[in-house]
Amino acid sequence: MSPVDDALWSAIGDPTRRRMLDLLLAEGHGTATTLSDRLPVTRQAVAKHLVVLDRVGLVSATPSGRERQYRLDEAQFARAVAQLHEVGSAWDARLQRIKTLAESIQKQADQKQADQKQADDKKKEKD
Amino acid sequence: MEYATIEREIYVEAAPEIVFDVVSSPEHVQEWWPDEAHYEARPGARGDLVFGEHGEEGSPLVVAFDVLEVEPPHTFSFRWTHPHGEQPVTGNSLLVTFALEPRGSGTLLRMTESGFREMGWEAAVLEQQYRDHESGWDFYLGRIAPYVEKLDVRP
Repeated sequence: MSPVDDALWSAIGDPTRRRMLDLLLAEGHGTATTLSDRLPVTRQAVAKHLVVLDRVGLVSATPSGRERQYRLDEAQFARAVAQLHEVGSAWDARLQRIKTLAESIQKQADQKQADQKQADDKKKEKD
Repeated sequence: MEYATIEREIYVEAAPEIVFDVVSSPEHVQEWWPDEAHYEARPGARGDLVFGEHGEEGSPLVVAFDVLEVEPPHTFSFRWTHPHGEQPVTGNSLLVTFALEPRGSGTLLRMTESGFREMGWEAAVLEQQYRDHESGWDFYLGRIAPYVEKLDVRP
Protein backbone atom coordinates (compact mmCIF):
# COMPACT_ATOMS: atom_id res chain seq x y z
CA MET A 1 0.00 0.00 0.00
CA SER A 2 1.39 3.38 -0.95
CA PRO A 3 -0.03 6.88 -0.53
CA VAL A 4 -0.04 7.30 -4.30
CA ASP A 5 -2.28 4.29 -4.76
CA ASP A 6 -4.68 5.55 -2.15
CA ALA A 7 -4.82 8.89 -3.88
CA LEU A 8 -5.44 7.30 -7.26
CA TRP A 9 -8.57 5.58 -5.98
CA SER A 10 -9.72 8.75 -4.35
CA ALA A 11 -8.98 10.80 -7.48
CA ILE A 12 -11.15 8.68 -9.71
CA GLY A 13 -13.88 8.31 -7.09
CA ASP A 14 -15.04 11.92 -7.46
CA PRO A 15 -17.80 12.64 -10.03
CA THR A 16 -16.50 16.09 -11.02
CA ARG A 17 -13.04 14.73 -11.64
CA ARG A 18 -14.46 11.88 -13.70
CA ARG A 19 -16.29 14.41 -15.87
CA MET A 20 -13.05 16.34 -16.27
CA LEU A 21 -11.32 13.16 -17.37
CA ASP A 22 -14.14 12.57 -19.85
CA LEU A 23 -13.67 16.05 -21.30
CA LEU A 24 -9.91 15.65 -21.54
CA LEU A 25 -10.44 12.33 -23.28
CA ALA A 26 -12.91 13.79 -25.75
CA GLU A 27 -10.98 16.95 -26.52
CA GLY A 28 -7.41 15.81 -26.06
CA HIS A 29 -6.43 18.69 -23.78
CA GLY A 30 -7.82 21.51 -21.66
CA THR A 31 -7.03 24.29 -19.21
CA ALA A 32 -8.76 25.16 -15.94
CA THR A 33 -10.62 27.86 -17.85
CA THR A 34 -11.79 25.75 -20.79
CA LEU A 35 -12.82 22.92 -18.50
CA SER A 36 -14.75 25.17 -16.12
CA ASP A 37 -16.66 26.57 -19.12
CA ARG A 38 -18.05 23.10 -19.64
CA LEU A 39 -18.75 22.22 -16.01
CA PRO A 40 -21.05 23.62 -13.32
CA VAL A 41 -18.09 24.51 -11.08
CA THR A 42 -15.77 27.48 -10.78
CA ARG A 43 -12.39 27.80 -12.43
CA GLN A 44 -10.81 27.72 -8.97
CA ALA A 45 -12.51 24.43 -8.14
CA VAL A 46 -11.41 22.93 -11.46
CA ALA A 47 -7.85 24.08 -10.81
CA LYS A 48 -7.88 22.28 -7.45
CA HIS A 49 -9.23 19.10 -9.04
CA LEU A 50 -6.49 19.30 -11.69
CA VAL A 51 -3.87 19.41 -8.95
CA VAL A 52 -5.33 16.21 -7.47
CA LEU A 53 -5.34 14.49 -10.87
CA ASP A 54 -1.82 15.69 -11.60
CA ARG A 55 -0.52 14.42 -8.27
CA VAL A 56 -1.65 10.85 -9.03
CA GLY A 57 -0.38 10.94 -12.60
CA LEU A 58 -3.77 10.88 -14.32
CA VAL A 59 -2.99 14.16 -16.12
CA SER A 60 0.16 16.06 -17.00
CA ALA A 61 0.56 19.77 -17.63
CA THR A 62 2.58 21.97 -19.97
CA PRO A 63 2.72 25.78 -19.64
CA SER A 64 0.61 27.54 -22.27
CA GLY A 65 0.66 31.32 -22.06
CA ARG A 66 -0.69 32.34 -18.66
CA GLU A 67 -2.32 28.96 -18.09
CA ARG A 68 -1.35 25.33 -17.98
CA GLN A 69 -2.50 22.95 -20.67
CA TYR A 70 -3.53 19.55 -19.28
CA ARG A 71 -3.56 16.21 -21.04
CA LEU A 72 -4.70 12.82 -19.85
CA ASP A 73 -2.04 10.25 -19.06
CA GLU A 74 -3.62 7.35 -20.87
CA ALA A 75 -1.51 4.58 -19.40
CA GLN A 76 -2.26 5.59 -15.84
CA PHE A 77 -5.92 6.11 -16.60
CA ALA A 78 -6.13 2.73 -18.31
CA ARG A 79 -4.80 1.09 -15.18
CA ALA A 80 -7.49 2.65 -13.03
CA VAL A 81 -10.29 1.89 -15.43
CA ALA A 82 -9.27 -1.61 -16.40
CA GLN A 83 -8.82 -2.71 -12.85
CA LEU A 84 -12.19 -1.51 -11.66
CA HIS A 85 -13.90 -2.85 -14.73
CA GLU A 86 -12.36 -6.28 -14.48
CA VAL A 87 -13.00 -6.72 -10.79
CA GLY A 88 -16.63 -5.72 -11.23
CA SER A 89 -17.32 -7.89 -14.23
CA ALA A 90 -15.58 -10.88 -12.66
CA TRP A 91 -18.09 -10.71 -9.80
CA ASP A 92 -20.98 -10.34 -12.24
CA ALA A 93 -19.96 -13.60 -13.86
CA ARG A 94 -19.52 -15.36 -10.51
CA LEU A 95 -22.91 -14.22 -9.23
CA GLN A 96 -24.56 -15.38 -12.44
CA ARG A 97 -23.06 -18.84 -11.88
CA ILE A 98 -24.23 -18.82 -8.24
CA LYS A 99 -27.76 -18.00 -9.43
CA THR A 100 -27.81 -20.76 -12.04
CA LEU A 101 -26.42 -23.31 -9.60
CA ALA A 102 -28.79 -22.46 -6.72
CA GLU A 103 -31.82 -22.41 -9.00
CA SER A 104 -31.02 -25.81 -10.46
CA ILE A 105 -30.58 -27.25 -6.95
CA GLN A 106 -33.94 -25.75 -5.95
CA LYS A 107 -35.60 -27.27 -9.03
CA GLN A 108 -34.17 -30.67 -8.26
CA ALA A 109 -35.42 -30.42 -4.68
CA ASP A 110 -38.88 -29.35 -5.87
CA GLN A 111 -38.97 -32.20 -8.37
CA LYS A 112 -37.95 -34.71 -5.75
CA GLN A 113 -40.69 -33.48 -3.45
CA ALA A 114 -43.27 -33.67 -6.26
CA ASP A 115 -42.20 -37.22 -7.14
CA GLN A 116 -42.41 -38.22 -3.50
CA LYS A 117 -45.89 -36.76 -3.20
CA GLN A 118 -47.01 -38.60 -6.32
CA ALA A 119 -45.63 -41.86 -4.97
CA ASP A 120 -47.35 -41.28 -1.63
CA ASP A 121 -50.65 -40.51 -3.36
CA LYS A 122 -50.43 -43.69 -5.41
CA LYS A 123 -49.65 -45.67 -2.30
CA LYS A 124 -52.70 -44.18 -0.58
CA GLU A 125 -54.90 -45.14 -3.55
CA LYS A 126 -53.65 -48.73 -3.35
CA ASP A 127 -54.24 -48.87 0.40
CA MET B 1 -9.58 4.64 6.51
CA GLU B 2 -12.08 4.79 3.71
CA TYR B 3 -12.98 1.79 1.68
CA ALA B 4 -13.43 1.26 -2.00
CA THR B 5 -16.20 -1.25 -2.39
CA ILE B 6 -17.74 -3.26 -5.16
CA GLU B 7 -21.41 -3.96 -4.50
CA ARG B 8 -23.73 -6.26 -6.36
CA GLU B 9 -27.14 -7.75 -5.77
CA ILE B 10 -28.94 -10.47 -7.62
CA TYR B 11 -32.29 -12.19 -7.19
CA VAL B 12 -32.13 -15.97 -7.03
CA GLU B 13 -35.20 -18.15 -7.41
CA ALA B 14 -34.17 -20.53 -4.64
CA ALA B 15 -34.59 -20.71 -0.86
CA PRO B 16 -32.05 -18.81 1.29
CA GLU B 17 -30.84 -22.13 2.75
CA ILE B 18 -29.91 -23.35 -0.72
CA VAL B 19 -28.28 -20.07 -1.77
CA PHE B 20 -26.34 -19.98 1.48
CA ASP B 21 -25.01 -23.45 0.80
CA VAL B 22 -23.98 -22.45 -2.72
CA VAL B 23 -22.04 -19.36 -1.60
CA SER B 24 -20.42 -20.95 1.47
CA SER B 25 -19.68 -24.64 1.02
CA PRO B 26 -16.32 -25.38 -0.64
CA GLU B 27 -17.90 -28.07 -2.83
CA HIS B 28 -20.20 -25.48 -4.39
CA VAL B 29 -17.74 -22.58 -4.33
CA GLN B 30 -15.39 -24.48 -6.60
CA GLU B 31 -18.26 -24.87 -9.06
CA TRP B 32 -18.62 -21.11 -9.52
CA TRP B 33 -15.16 -19.75 -8.74
CA PRO B 34 -11.75 -21.44 -8.26
CA ASP B 35 -10.77 -24.86 -9.52
CA GLU B 36 -10.37 -26.02 -5.94
CA ALA B 37 -11.57 -24.59 -2.63
CA HIS B 38 -9.88 -25.88 0.53
CA TYR B 39 -11.45 -24.65 3.76
CA GLU B 40 -14.03 -25.49 6.38
CA ALA B 41 -17.12 -23.31 6.50
CA ARG B 42 -16.71 -22.23 10.12
CA PRO B 43 -15.60 -18.90 11.62
CA GLY B 44 -11.83 -18.61 11.87
CA ALA B 45 -11.07 -21.48 9.51
CA ARG B 46 -7.98 -20.92 7.37
CA GLY B 47 -7.71 -22.30 3.89
CA ASP B 48 -6.97 -21.50 0.28
CA LEU B 49 -8.32 -21.33 -3.23
CA VAL B 50 -6.47 -22.91 -6.15
CA PHE B 51 -6.67 -21.46 -9.63
CA GLY B 52 -5.15 -23.91 -12.10
CA GLU B 53 -2.54 -22.63 -14.53
CA HIS B 54 -2.82 -19.01 -13.35
CA GLY B 55 0.47 -18.97 -11.46
CA GLU B 56 3.97 -18.52 -12.79
CA GLU B 57 4.70 -20.51 -15.94
CA GLY B 58 1.33 -22.18 -15.87
CA SER B 59 1.62 -23.59 -12.36
CA PRO B 60 -1.47 -23.42 -10.12
CA LEU B 61 -2.03 -20.14 -8.28
CA VAL B 62 -2.81 -20.70 -4.59
CA VAL B 63 -4.57 -17.83 -2.81
CA ALA B 64 -5.12 -17.56 0.94
CA PHE B 65 -8.76 -17.67 2.08
CA ASP B 66 -9.91 -17.20 5.70
CA VAL B 67 -13.50 -17.63 6.84
CA LEU B 68 -14.95 -14.89 9.08
CA GLU B 69 -18.72 -15.16 9.60
CA VAL B 70 -20.89 -18.21 9.01
CA GLU B 71 -24.49 -17.46 9.94
CA PRO B 72 -26.83 -19.60 7.89
CA PRO B 73 -28.88 -18.60 6.04
CA HIS B 74 -28.08 -14.87 6.43
CA THR B 75 -24.38 -14.06 6.26
CA PHE B 76 -21.17 -15.58 4.96
CA SER B 77 -17.97 -13.56 4.87
CA PHE B 78 -14.30 -14.19 4.25
CA ARG B 79 -10.98 -12.48 3.60
CA TRP B 80 -8.71 -13.50 0.77
CA THR B 81 -5.51 -12.56 -1.11
CA HIS B 82 -3.43 -11.95 2.06
CA PRO B 83 0.13 -13.32 2.12
CA HIS B 84 0.17 -17.00 3.07
CA GLY B 85 0.61 -17.57 6.78
CA GLU B 86 -0.29 -13.99 7.70
CA GLN B 87 -3.34 -13.03 9.70
CA PRO B 88 -5.82 -11.41 7.29
CA VAL B 89 -6.54 -7.81 8.27
CA THR B 90 -7.54 -4.55 6.66
CA GLY B 91 -4.67 -3.58 4.42
CA ASN B 92 -3.42 -7.00 3.36
CA SER B 93 -6.60 -8.67 2.09
CA LEU B 94 -9.95 -8.21 0.41
CA LEU B 95 -13.11 -8.67 2.46
CA VAL B 96 -16.07 -10.36 0.76
CA THR B 97 -19.49 -10.49 2.40
CA PHE B 98 -22.55 -12.32 1.15
CA ALA B 99 -25.79 -11.15 2.77
CA LEU B 100 -29.00 -13.08 2.07
CA GLU B 101 -32.61 -12.02 2.51
CA PRO B 102 -35.78 -13.95 1.74
CA ARG B 103 -37.63 -12.22 -1.09
CA GLY B 104 -40.90 -13.68 -2.43
CA SER B 105 -40.29 -17.33 -3.18
CA GLY B 106 -36.56 -16.74 -3.55
CA THR B 107 -33.57 -14.91 -2.14
CA LEU B 108 -32.02 -11.51 -2.60
CA LEU B 109 -28.28 -12.06 -2.56
CA ARG B 110 -26.01 -9.07 -1.86
CA MET B 111 -22.27 -9.24 -2.37
CA THR B 112 -19.75 -6.62 -1.31
CA GLU B 113 -16.02 -6.75 -1.79
CA SER B 114 -13.91 -4.11 -0.10
CA GLY B 115 -10.30 -3.33 0.65
CA PHE B 116 -9.05 -2.29 -2.78
CA ARG B 117 -7.79 1.10 -1.68
CA GLU B 118 -5.94 -0.34 1.24
CA MET B 119 -4.24 -2.91 -0.92
CA GLY B 120 -3.07 -0.55 -3.59
CA TRP B 121 -2.75 -1.29 -7.23
CA GLU B 122 -0.34 -4.16 -7.29
CA ALA B 123 -2.70 -6.44 -5.44
CA ALA B 124 -5.39 -6.20 -8.01
CA VAL B 125 -5.24 -9.08 -10.34
CA LEU B 126 -5.64 -7.23 -13.53
CA GLU B 127 -3.45 -4.22 -13.76
CA GLN B 128 -1.72 -5.47 -16.85
CA GLN B 129 -4.89 -6.18 -18.72
CA TYR B 130 -5.50 -2.88 -20.37
CA ARG B 131 -5.13 -2.95 -24.09
CA ASP B 132 -4.01 -0.58 -26.75
CA HIS B 133 -6.55 2.11 -26.13
CA GLU B 134 -6.79 4.02 -29.37
CA SER B 135 -10.24 2.57 -29.84
CA GLY B 136 -10.77 1.35 -26.32
CA TRP B 137 -11.58 4.47 -24.40
CA ASP B 138 -15.22 4.92 -25.25
CA PHE B 139 -15.78 1.25 -24.67
CA TYR B 140 -14.17 1.34 -21.26
CA LEU B 141 -15.75 4.58 -20.18
CA GLY B 142 -19.22 3.44 -21.10
CA ARG B 143 -18.81 0.29 -19.10
CA ILE B 144 -16.90 1.63 -16.17
CA ALA B 145 -19.42 4.24 -15.03
CA PRO B 146 -21.71 1.85 -13.15
CA TYR B 147 -18.73 0.37 -11.33
CA VAL B 148 -17.13 3.65 -10.47
CA GLU B 149 -20.41 5.04 -9.17
CA LYS B 150 -20.41 2.26 -6.62
CA LEU B 151 -17.03 3.21 -5.30
CA ASP B 152 -17.67 4.38 -1.80
CA VAL B 153 -14.85 6.87 -1.66
CA ARG B 154 -14.84 10.53 -0.93
CA PRO B 155 -12.29 13.04 -2.17
